[in-house]
Amino acid sequence: MTQSMNPFEPPAGGLSLYIHVPFCERKCPYCAFESKVPSVGERDLWLEMLSKELEWWEKRIGKPSLSTCYIGGGTPTVITGPQWVRLAEIIDSHFMFESDAEVTVEANPNSLKADHLLFWRDWRVSRVSIGVQSFDDAELIQLGRLHSAAQAYEAISASLASGFSVNSDLMFGLPGQTFRNWSRTLSQAVKSGIDHISLYQLTLEPGTLWESMPEQDLSDGYLPYRWAQWYMPRKGYNQYEIANFAKEGHESRHNINYWEEGEYLGVGPGASGFLKGWRYKNISGITEYSRSLDRGGSAIASGERLFGEKRVSEAAVLALRMSKGIDREDFSNKYGALEEKKIIEKLSRFPEDLYDISEKRISLSSKGMRVANRIWSELV
Amino acid sequence: MILDKFRNFSIIAHVNHGKSTLADRLLEETGTIEGRNMKAQLLDMLDLERERGITIKLVPVRMNYKANNGQEYVLNLIDTPGHVDFTYEVSRSLAACEGAVLVVDAAQGVEAQTVANSYLAIDLNLEIIPILNKIDLPSAQPDRVKKEIEDIIGINAADAVNVSAKTGEGISDLLERIVRDVPPPNGDPDAPLQALIFDSVYDNYKGVICYVRVVNGTLRAGKNIRFMSTGRDYELDEVGIFRPDMVKISELGPGEVGYLAASVKTIDEARVGDTVTESRRPAASPLPGYKKVKPVVFCGFYPVEREEINQLREALEKLQINDSALSFEPENSAALGFGFRCGFLGLLHMEIAKERLSREFGVDLVATAPNVVYQIVLINQSVIEAHKPSDFPDQVKIEEIREPYIKLTIFIPEQFVGAAMQLCQEKRGTYVGMDYITPERVRLTYDMPLAEFILDFHDRLKSCTKGYASLDYDHIGFRTADLVKVDLLLHDEPVDAFSFICHTDQAYHRGHAVVGKLKELIPRQLFEIPVQAAIGKKVIVRMNIKAVRKDVLAKCYGGDITRKRKLLEKQKEGKKRMKQVGRVSIPQEAFLAFMDVTKSEDK
Ligand SMILES: Nc1nc2c(ncn2[C@@H]2O[C@H](COP(=O)(O)OP(=O)(O)O)[C@@H](O)[C@H]2O)c(=O)[nH]1
Ligand code: SF4
Ligand SMILES: [Mg+2]
Repeated sequence: MTQSMNPFEPPAGGLSLYIHVPFCERKCPYCAFESKVPSVGERDLWLEMLSKELEWWEKRIGKPSLSTCYIGGGTPTVITGPQWVRLAEIIDSHFMFESDAEVTVEANPNSLKADHLLFWRDWRVSRVSIGVQSFDDAELIQLGRLHSAAQAYEAISASLASGFSVNSDLMFGLPGQTFRNWSRTLSQAVKSGIDHISLYQLTLEPGTLWESMPEQDLSDGYLPYRWAQWYMPRKGYNQYEIANFAKEGHESRHNINYWEEGEYLGVGPGASGFLKGWRYKNISGITEYSRSLDRGGSAIASGERLFGEKRVSEAAVLALRMSKGIDREDFSNKYGALEEKKIIEKLSRFPEDLYDISEKRISLSSKGMRVANRIWSELV
Repeated sequence: MILDKFRNFSIIAHVNHGKSTLADRLLEETGTIEGRNMKAQLLDMLDLERERGITIKLVPVRMNYKANNGQEYVLNLIDTPGHVDFTYEVSRSLAACEGAVLVVDAAQGVEAQTVANSYLAIDLNLEIIPILNKIDLPSAQPDRVKKEIEDIIGINAADAVNVSAKTGEGISDLLERIVRDVPPPNGDPDAPLQALIFDSVYDNYKGVICYVRVVNGTLRAGKNIRFMSTGRDYELDEVGIFRPDMVKISELGPGEVGYLAASVKTIDEARVGDTVTESRRPAASPLPGYKKVKPVVFCGFYPVEREEINQLREALEKLQINDSALSFEPENSAALGFGFRCGFLGLLHMEIAKERLSREFGVDLVATAPNVVYQIVLINQSVIEAHKPSDFPDQVKIEEIREPYIKLTIFIPEQFVGAAMQLCQEKRGTYVGMDYITPERVRLTYDMPLAEFILDFHDRLKSCTKGYASLDYDHIGFRTADLVKVDLLLHDEPVDAFSFICHTDQAYHRGHAVVGKLKELIPRQLFEIPVQAAIGKKVIVRMNIKAVRKDVLAKCYGGDITRKRKLLEKQKEGKKRMKQVGRVSIPQEAFLAFMDVTKSEDK
């Protein structure tokens, strides 16, 4: 069966949509995401441009039906109640939704308002992902966050009470972070009744305020990560991916789609997408992004299509992020038995306790996940 | 031109006493080069020489000089290298002269090479004109230094010329003295040709260009010539002189210095020290003094990128054309792949070769730790030479190991004698003697294994004498020694690039230093790696490199995929530059730093 390689045709099955909100109340010192404090009118401008961008896409891919949708950023709760109404209207006018579609919205504890929750529930949001980062007030100040631990707790409770599946992001490897702090943050998260937890190790990214912080100031990540791998499953959260733990049935389908090389449309400044084997990235910066759309152009800045070995290794690396790993049959159907054998051959150069190879699947062990970068760099 | 109007001379000096500066002043004073056309120190042609302030390559130059007596003279100046590694070249250059200007820094006084070079010149029967340079310096003490010259070297310095190569003071006096004191050459223009090759360089168009001094007979373009050590004949394409650029002329007579080109393809065919004669009417015997120079220090050169082995070979071949003392042969190392075992006249020679390879030929290379040549007497009484640790046979087959020794002469201010003696002792030196040159300055003499000397002796001496020491050495043959080969094992596999030879008493200590350094340099991998030093089967040091437990936990969602892939690819690129030994990846730096370890961590 030959598959179409044209990204500008309607997708075959259910599509995932990512919408990037490029605004935050304040820029965090470690953050390299595309976001800024919005100037007057900039949020409305973004809404109108988003509408233009989606029109551009509709002319090409029609009005596909979505299996997942993720509105992230930046901080989507910087978008006010009335602006949310407009946003939902724009989305609904360009897409259909599958009946069990997963729709996620990111929120920050300080800007998440009751009217957000009310509106989201009435619209079609099913998941809320809250940027908690830590349950330690001193760490929150250090991270330049605008909320306290108590506010984070409230935001989670309110979201759970509104019937959403709730995730929160937590960070480790902070300068001066003690193991006690970290274990307390994890147990607080568990206590809050949350459904899903994403972990991040602090990294010093270029272009951020902290980029020139000496690397050795960061605390070692081994213990906190090892602890999470031990503790979370005991509290009912299974590690289904390198950085993600969830209660049964609360795994993020939208994110799984990324790792399974599923198609997704990305819209908004700096967003990325993947359609029919083609990866693209949008123009960064609301001004440049708008200028192109205003001229009737697309928002796309660059694109790339991987072939051969690169394509295969990317697929393998992404799949190995997940606990379930590579489905051997699917993989050899897609890329050939030879490629599958090569992956196994490369893995077998590593100590055996780092990976599992069964009849059906190839995956990394918990220990392998801790050194995954090293393993992957051999696979690419 | 008649012979008595020629003066052939060299300038000899301890490094930095002003040889090159003085040569420049002479060129200027004789109008050979206009002052404004002069780069500082014109005779040091290679950039490298200029940077390091030492002369490696000899560049002869011909000057016309009208003396105070109204007569026109031709002065041939042959500059000489100023380092012990190049003693043979110095002696060949001197052999092309009748006189030598001995430059001594009037502030510093006599140093080790002042003595060594003077003796070379005296040995060749050269007239020596001592001069005291840098008299413009407030610290200059010409009279004290004159006395030193007389006391230490034993030549009359009463009427030594006081000059400043910087200001030009005394230069005209010096020129007069050269004319007066350097004997004119004698030679028979009609005798069979005898010309000494005192240097050679390679030219892409003309082939090897030999720098020659005609002793007897006449060198004429178009004639057939013969190199006496090989017996091979060539047609002479071109003869010429240096001004200092090469200028073609029709013939060179006895006493004259110039060059010849005869479409000689390789430097091996026209070695420094050889005698050129006519094919039709060959001389009865060659000029004295030719010897094939033998390398004394060896090390392996390997390309950083394995694929660049051919570039490295080509670069070495080209380098050899300009550096006939360099020798190399292919070798194979489990850790480093294909490379070359190269032989050098000394450490400086090795460093220069390494630097020229990267600078002039653009090859990045890894150099293994340098070592000397060992003589090994086997149980069956046969003797083999080992140029590298892996040439060593099994411990049980060895009856005796001999290593090369040098006689080391050190000049130091009195207050550093204790420190210098302690260092020599530590370096397995045998005390020979000590004498006071002046109440403040001492000459120390030791016999020492060359291996200890090349390790880091010079640097350590410099640091323990605050840079006030100067040294010189002579090779004095092989002596029996209690040596062992220490193997380094990574993950139970021996890595030949890291093995070394040392005295039995130092094996543990040095093994410890090297193992410790490797532990530091080799990044953690996904499994634990034992690092061991062993003599034969016996492990003497063992440390473990712990396994990596965790890499950064990086998230990866839709927008990160491309970036993440590029990061991984970069990581992989980095890894490619590592050498793989079994399952262990060793970064280039480990090999590079290994040289430094054996130097500096060894106490
Ligand atoms: N003050 C002073 N400095 C000099 C004189 N001659 C040479 N120098 C300096 O001494 C250093 C070494 O000189 P150089 O000619 O390179 O010495 P070489 O190593 O013997 O060739 C340089 O910095 C020169 O500028 C001199 O007569 N007076
Ligand atoms: S709120 Fe999130 S997106 Fe915004 S600056 Fe902070 S970390 Fe970055
Ligand atoms: Mg010089």
